[in-house]
Formats: sequence, C-alpha cells, structure tokens
Amino acid sequence: MSALFDVLTENIDEFGGGLWVTLRLVGGAFVIAIVVGTFVAALRIAPSAWLRRLGGIYVETFRNIPLLVLLTLSYAGLRRAGVEIGTWTAGIASLGLYTAAYVAEVLRSGVFAVSKGQIEASLSLGFSYAQTLRRIVLPQAFRTVIPPLGSITIAMIKNSAIVGASIIALGDLLKNARIVQSDTFKTEESFIWAAAGYLVLTVAATIAFRFLERRLAISR
Amino acid sequence: MQRMNWRGLAAVGLALGALTVAACGEDDESSGDAGTTTTEARTFDAGTTMKKLQDEGEMTVGVKFDVPPFGAKNPTSGDVEGFDIDFAKAIADELGVKPKYIEALSDNRIAFLKDGTADLILSTMTINAERDEEIDFSEPYFIAKGRILVKKSNSDIGGVDDLAGKNVCTALGSTYEETLKKQAPKAKLKLVDSYSECLELIQNGAVDAVSTDDVILTGMIIQDDTLKLVDDEPLTTEPYGAGIKEGDKAFQAFVNDVFDKYKSDGRWAKAYQKWVGQYTGEKQEPPTMTLQEAIDLTK
Repeated sequence: MSALFDVLTENIDEFGGGLWVTLRLVGGAFVIAIVVGTFVAALRIAPSAWLRRLGGIYVETFRNIPLLVLLTLSYAGLRRAGVEIGTWTAGIASLGLYTAAYVAEVLRSGVFAVSKGQIEASLSLGFSYAQTLRRIVLPQAFRTVIPPLGSITIAMIKNSAIVGASIIALGDLLKNARIVQSDTFKTEESFIWAAAGYLVLTVAATIAFRFLERRLAISR
Repeated sequence: MQRMNWRGLAAVGLALGALTVAACGEDDESSGDAGTTTTEARTFDAGTTMKKLQDEGEMTVGVKFDVPPFGAKNPTSGDVEGFDIDFAKAIADELGVKPKYIEALSDNRIAFLKDGTADLILSTMTINAERDEEIDFSEPYFIAKGRILVKKSNSDIGGVDDLAGKNVCTALGSTYEETLKKQAPKAKLKLVDSYSECLELIQNGAVDAVSTDDVILTGMIIQDDTLKLVDDEPLTTEPYGAGIKEGDKAFQAFVNDVFDKYKSDGRWAKAYQKWVGQYTGEKQEPPTMTLQEAIDLTK
C-alpha cells in the first residue's frame, strides 16, 4: 500500500501538473461547448430552413467524427495546410467544438420541452424571435437540460484524456501518468492515480451540476 | 442415400484434414527459407518457455510497426518486416514455431512481457540498467547511436546544446526521454507514442528536431529526403537487446544461442546489408559487446 502512495508523492509534480493541464483544457473546452452549443441550438430551431440546415450540418459533422480524428486534423492537418495552430488552441478548440454538438442537441430537446403556446404568445405580444429565445425559451430550456448537460460535461472531462494521447501530446493527467509509468515501471500505481485525478474532476462536476439542478430546476 | 452423404462428408473431412496438415508442413518450410538454415526443431525439457512455445506452436513477438527499417508494416503486403523481424524469424525457426507479431510501443513493451502478452520483445529496445531490473535482455544484437534529426533547411541546430528552447520530439518511454532531459534540459520535449508521429511533427513544423537512434532516423530520411542528421558526436550508444521475461534464464540462454549462430553463419551481416547498409552505405560488424557491458554503459 505504501508503494502506491510513494508513486504519488515522488511524482507529485507530474501528477499535479497533469491535473492542472487537464483542468485548463476542460475549462476552456467547456466555455466553447456552451457558447457554440447554444448558438448552434438556436440555428437548429431558427425559423429559416437554411439556418436550421446549417446547424444540422454542424452537429452531424462534429458529432460524427471521432475526437481523435478531429484532434489530428485540427493540429497536424491545419499545420500542413500552413496554419500555425498551437497545441492548446487545437486541443481546446477540438474538444470544445466536438462537445458543442452534443450540447446543441441537448438544448434543442430542452427547447422542445417548452410548450409551443408560450412561443406563439411571446411572438404575438411583439417580442422578436431573438427576444423570445433569450427571454422565454432558453431560460426554461437550460433548466430542463441541466442533468443531461452534467452527463455531457463528465463525458468531456474523460474525453480530454484523448488530447494528451493524440499527436497534440499535451502533458495532461493521463499523459503525465504514462510518463511516470515509463520512468518508474509502476503501471498499476500510475494509472490508479490518473483514475483518481479524473474522479476528482468528474465528482466535482457532478456536485456542481447537482447544486445547479437544485437551485434552478423547475419544480414539478 | 442418407448414409452415403455421411460417408461422403467424412471423406471430405478427411481430405480437408490431410490438406491442412500438408499446408502446415508447407508453412514450416516456407518460414524455413526465410531464415535459410532450418534443421529439425530441437527438443526441450518440460517446463521451459521453449517447450511451452513448441506446444502452442506459436511465439508472440512484440515488434515495432512503424519504425523502418527495424519493424514496419509493409503497406502493400500488410506484412511486418525489418531487421528485428528477421531475427525474430530466426528464433522462431529454431523452435519450429510460427512467429506472431504484435505491435509493441516504447511505452507498453515492458508491460507486455510482464503480463505475458508477448513472449519476446524485439522492438529497437535499448538495454539499460533501469529496464534490466524489470525484465531480462539477450546479448546486444545491434548497436545504435543516439542522433538528432532536423530539416535540411535548419541551420540553427548543430548539436545537442543547440536544442535549448527548441521543440524536440521523441517517443514516450524511450531512453531519449531521459537522455534529453539530461543533455538538453532546456529543450521543450514533445513525447508521443510512436516515431511516425515525430516524423509528422517535424514535417509540419510543430517540432524543430527529432532525437532517437540513428537507424530510426535514417528510416525517416528514407521516407523524406528534406530531412538530415545533425553532423555531431552521437548523444549516446544504444545497444539493442531482445526483451525476455524477468528471471527466464533458460529462454535467455536459448535466444543468445540462436544469436551466436545468427552472427557466425552470416545471417546477421545479410540482414544488416538488407535493412540498413544499402541505405546508409555504411558497413558494420555484428556487435561483440556483452550484456554486462551494455548495462554498465548506462550506470
């Protein structure tokens, strides 16, 4: 048992540094996912068929390409095309845009949960379409989708491990755990601590979403 | 009629069985001519790894799939080939078993030996004291030198000291992880899973240099002639050893035995010329360094 803790204490810089990188990666990607996801959801329910199609193309593109492929294309592919994209930009953007497709779909389902009568009432009272969305629909939609958003966030935290394993090779939690493993040959111990690190992040996310749920949920 | 059918089936079954046996026999012969000198498979005591492999009829060897000219998947045929593969074949031939190749990355190959996924590792693995604690090695079967690869257009990097502040790629779990941390502590290391990723990264400009064994870097130059080796003293000497499960002395002795034959009957020189010499134009004698010397080198 003490061997397990020795691996952590002797390599605390690697594990701590990796956790910090993962945290920043996930934080940045979360912001992108929510902002872009909301925008795409708005497109998906727009009155214009063209806008709806545009939103549909976004969702189908980013949801249907494996994250690892997206990471490789956004980094190696863009660099080959002459775009000097950095590791952080490529990593955060890929993870964020990928997750945004799921956020958009969940939000869309939340919007459908708002009864059509409310939207008609709002429009007939003189609200513009954007105002209706912002004031009436989205606030309610967000509340109903908090539990699935929590699941998406947790999935995103776990997906972030692919960023370090990809050609982008950011020194995230999993990557650094593997570096510790290759330095010490302590395979199980290194991965147990990586698992523990991800658990800390996912459990924190779970607690945060539970809190939001309690505060904002529409009581039924 | 019914009975006839059954008999017919039995006859077909027998014929198929005979064919299979014949096919197996043929197989043995064909893997034989790859290694030139196959005699009757030797017999071994019960309980040894050699006996176990013979009973299974198959030896799982962890090799590189993306490191020409040592272990690389031929995109046309789908076969894995290279210097390491030829040696693996020689060992399998001596046992009279079929070699089965699985991909062993720098990062997972030691774990593969420990958990029994692979019976033998031949994946450009440098012998060092640290690894020797975890697994056993054969005598060195190839001596590589640590070098630096840059683009031909790059004139900034003339040696290891120039790597400070530069992005340098090498494989996670390779000896260069530590070598570079020691010799170029200010270099920004990019640790990836495989050398093919390093090649991509230097081609697309994400890293300035790749550092690893000269033969691996030569493999990259064969693929892309806009790259070159930095003309400087080698960073390190890297004796390659076959990885064997810790404590399996009998199998270790067996592999060494095969290697001695492989060297003395000229197969080593042939393999060297085929995989390395014809590209580099250099000549090299089979290594005479002992395992102990190789281990001491890293202490």
